[in-house]
Amino acid sequence: MKNKLILLFAVFALVAAACGGDDDSADDGTDTTAAATETTAAAGEEVALRWMTRPDNPEEAAVYGDISDELSASLDSVTLTYEPGSNEGAGYQQTLLTNLSAGTAPDVFWIPGTDVADFASRDVILDMREYADASGHSDADFYEGPMGHLTTDLDTGQPGNALWGLPRDVSTFGLYVNLDLIAEAGVANPLELEANGEWDIAAFNEVVDGVAALGGEIRGYGQSAWWGPYGAWMNNAGGGFFTADRSACGLDSDESIAGLTALRDLYSGDSVIPYGEDPEPPFRAGTVGMFQNGRWATPGIRTVDFNWDVVGLPEGAAGPGNWLFWGAYVVNANTADPEKAWALVEALTEASVQAQISGLGANIPSRVSQEALDAFLTFSPPDNNQAFLNGLQNDPSTEGPLWAGSWPEFVTLMDSEIQAVVTGARDIADFQANICTETSAAFGG
Amino acid sequence: MTAASAKPMSTSSGEPRWFRPLLVWRVFAAVLLTFALIAVALQRGIVLDGPVRWSLLVALLGAVVGAGIAIRGTLQKVHLGRFAGFTIDLLLMVVLGFIALNRMGMFTGVDAVGEAFNGNAAWLAIVILGWFVSGFADKAGGNQKILKQVAQWTMITGMVVLTVAMGLIPGLIEFATRIVEGDVILFAAGAVIAGVFARILWSDTAARLFKTTQTEGENMDGMLFVAPNVLGFLAFFAGPLIVSLFISFTEWDGLTDANFVGFQNYIDLFTDALFLKALRNIVIFGVVAIPLAVIPALLLAALLNSKLPGMRFFRAVYFLPSIAGVVGVTLIWKQLFNSTVGYLNYMILRVTEWFNSLIGTGWEAPQPQWISDDSIALIAVIILFVWQQIGFNTVLFLAGMQSIDGTLYEAADIDGAGPWRKLRNITVPMLRPTTVFVVATSTILALQLFNEPFILQAPSPPSGPGNATLTPVVYLYQNAFQEFQIGYASAVAWALFILIFGITLLYFRRSGDEGVLTS
Repeated sequence: MKNKLILLFAVFALVAAACGGDDDSADDGTDTTAAATETTAAAGEEVALRWMTRPDNPEEAAVYGDISDELSASLDSVTLTYEPGSNEGAGYQQTLLTNLSAGTAPDVFWIPGTDVADFASRDVILDMREYADASGHSDADFYEGPMGHLTTDLDTGQPGNALWGLPRDVSTFGLYVNLDLIAEAGVANPLELEANGEWDIAAFNEVVDGVAALGGEIRGYGQSAWWGPYGAWMNNAGGGFFTADRSACGLDSDESIAGLTALRDLYSGDSVIPYGEDPEPPFRAGTVGMFQNGRWATPGIRTVDFNWDVVGLPEGAAGPGNWLFWGAYVVNANTADPEKAWALVEALTEASVQAQISGLGANIPSRVSQEALDAFLTFSPPDNNQAFLNGLQNDPSTEGPLWAGSWPEFVTLMDSEIQAVVTGARDIADFQANICTETSAAFGG
Repeated sequence: MTAASAKPMSTSSGEPRWFRPLLVWRVFAAVLLTFALIAVALQRGIVLDGPVRWSLLVALLGAVVGAGIAIRGTLQKVHLGRFAGFTIDLLLMVVLGFIALNRMGMFTGVDAVGEAFNGNAAWLAIVILGWFVSGFADKAGGNQKILKQVAQWTMITGMVVLTVAMGLIPGLIEFATRIVEGDVILFAAGAVIAGVFARILWSDTAARLFKTTQTEGENMDGMLFVAPNVLGFLAFFAGPLIVSLFISFTEWDGLTDANFVGFQNYIDLFTDALFLKALRNIVIFGVVAIPLAVIPALLLAALLNSKLPGMRFFRAVYFLPSIAGVVGVTLIWKQLFNSTVGYLNYMILRVTEWFNSLIGTGWEAPQPQWISDDSIALIAVIILFVWQQIGFNTVLFLAGMQSIDGTLYEAADIDGAGPWRKLRNITVPMLRPTTVFVVATSTILALQLFNEPFILQAPSPPSGPGNATLTPVVYLYQNAFQEFQIGYASAVAWALFILIFGITLLYFRRSGDEGVLTS
């Protein structure tokens, strides 16, 4: 009996100690697991808001936590709880979708740009235009591409007067260049070629072949096998995945095929990392001349022990081209207080906050603000941070959802077929003739 | 424990004092559950959507029926009334208690307990030390009473200081504050009342009143003992399983209302080229990987079972891959498989060069693209799986071998049998139950393959080149979390479950027929 009493005391003591712990959410008496409710808090009443965004690395997660604490102190009548979203057992997308299904999603959360249509059309996120107008927000403070998607009207599928959120950050592709290998190969320096306006596909191919000629495991170029890298080649050739109004497949256009042909030709030789292999490890091992990736790869590349820098993508037949990658903070349709949730979205996209995040080097501010850009440019190496900003200026294709179809379904169908073409398993003429029929299911066909 | 006799117990002359309150509580609980059922059905007060709502409806319907049976049985004073009432009260106590604790934010406070433990580790160490010394005093025997008492008081003092240092006093104040907040007190009170009546119904007096036989009483005790496990099983395994079965009959994106589509998802599976490709991949994977993970493990176990020096070290070495984190291990293998800077191809290159120099040939070293070539991408996954699995299987075989009666080998030695003969005629037959278990677990793990292709192929899609590494679970993941087709993904999950269940059943039935599992 004595043992039972001791055990009971111990259990109760632990439960009570849990109450007395210094956990923020416990102290303020808020239930952080509760779903956002549909009641609006009275003016001046303290509101607890939860927000979630996917950090690129643990350092970013820590900075987001600090930002949350700062905003919690500065925002009027708002107590914030930040959740990184992913953990060892589940990725960000899994966590978010599970929370949304269970009705326990945070008040404000980040989603990839390609998911905006799916969330908006299912009434999962709020149209914030009413609150934005009241707060004096201007769409023009952010890059035009993402705002085009974020203002898309559900009925027309074209930019309108809606406002589904604000972009957290943006990114573009660059070519990470191993300057030591370039010098050893004796080929022209891509940064100089770019400065002289001579950085086109032909010059790129010469550099690739020149570096690969060093022999052994040395390769001239590498890219990963997902839609971004190969899409950039189509963009540079003047093509793209979709028609101009994004209502149908555009993979069979002559321009898209020209870009894909150039890529296939590049991969037909031994000068590049085989398509489908992750090119980052060999690049970091110092055996690859140029590695195409986004700004998010920069913190990892900084650990290499050779001289490197970044150059923009070579000009294609249609001139310079790139992607504009982005993701957005959106407001849960079930939030307790949309007005305060909007205030949080605005605060999270302020220039000073974006400067803190971009100072870590993984992404570019989405706000067209000199303060934020200055912070981004201070992150060195690379010396040529400007290469990523040039990508923003040179008419990039904006990553975005399909308002008249299913982006995930389209990508699943497209990825494997593009891979087949690039690796020579599928004839490109056959691809051009049939790919838009094969992917028509993504448009409800 | 109930101390019921073998025959039905006779009722006491009068009803116990708690009988009328119990009847009132029975009716009140039934009314409460009925209201909850109506609220969920009509979406009034409790607004839930999709499968969660349907699951709750089914659970509440069951509870209302159970509550009805409990009322009837209580009025008739038969064991069914006691059993149904006890079950309902037990469930109510757990569910209402859980809701109350959750609304108090208690589960988020678990982190705080962890932090508080970290900060007061010294006091915790004193508690553990006291426990050890107390145990030692027990074992030592003799006149160790004083030592035991000192140890016990040290333990109790340590516990008190620990809990106070962890925040017991502010915790108690906070606990008292939160429990009276809003509706928490109602849930907590409900849980306490249900708990009290459950305790009453478990008593000997209740057993006599409800004419419980000894067997029925023992059954009830047994059920109470397994209740925590059963509740956990229902909440975290069977519940989600049933929900996923329901979802598999719907078209549901996880975000909006589900549409019931009957067997359409299952019908679609038969014509879904990607699903069929995933099935084909996993069958090939299983046919190649399982023998490779089992047969070498058996031979390795035979080797490690010998009394050669250093065997303990090697046992640990071979077991290491199975305790290493799959993500870390796969990332290492991803580097090894890299076709340009990976050590695997480097090794092939050096071996070929050495061979060429040895016999004067000029063979070119093959440099397979382990991950990006669709003809061998699955082989890379097989190598990784087998490497991870062999060690675990070896340990299982080793345990099986060490339980084989040594006299069999001694008799074989007398008959002049060699090591191979002993392995073939004694070890392998005697290991059949272990082999069945090893093969069954390896098969289940193989069919559930997900992490390895997912990480090996990143940042490319996990389905790999030409969908060479697309497995049913990868396909399930893509449908559920990338394409928002939760209903279809659930159908994939159930198709996979049926496949795994069927194969496992086949293994065990065949083994059962041969008497392997009972030998």
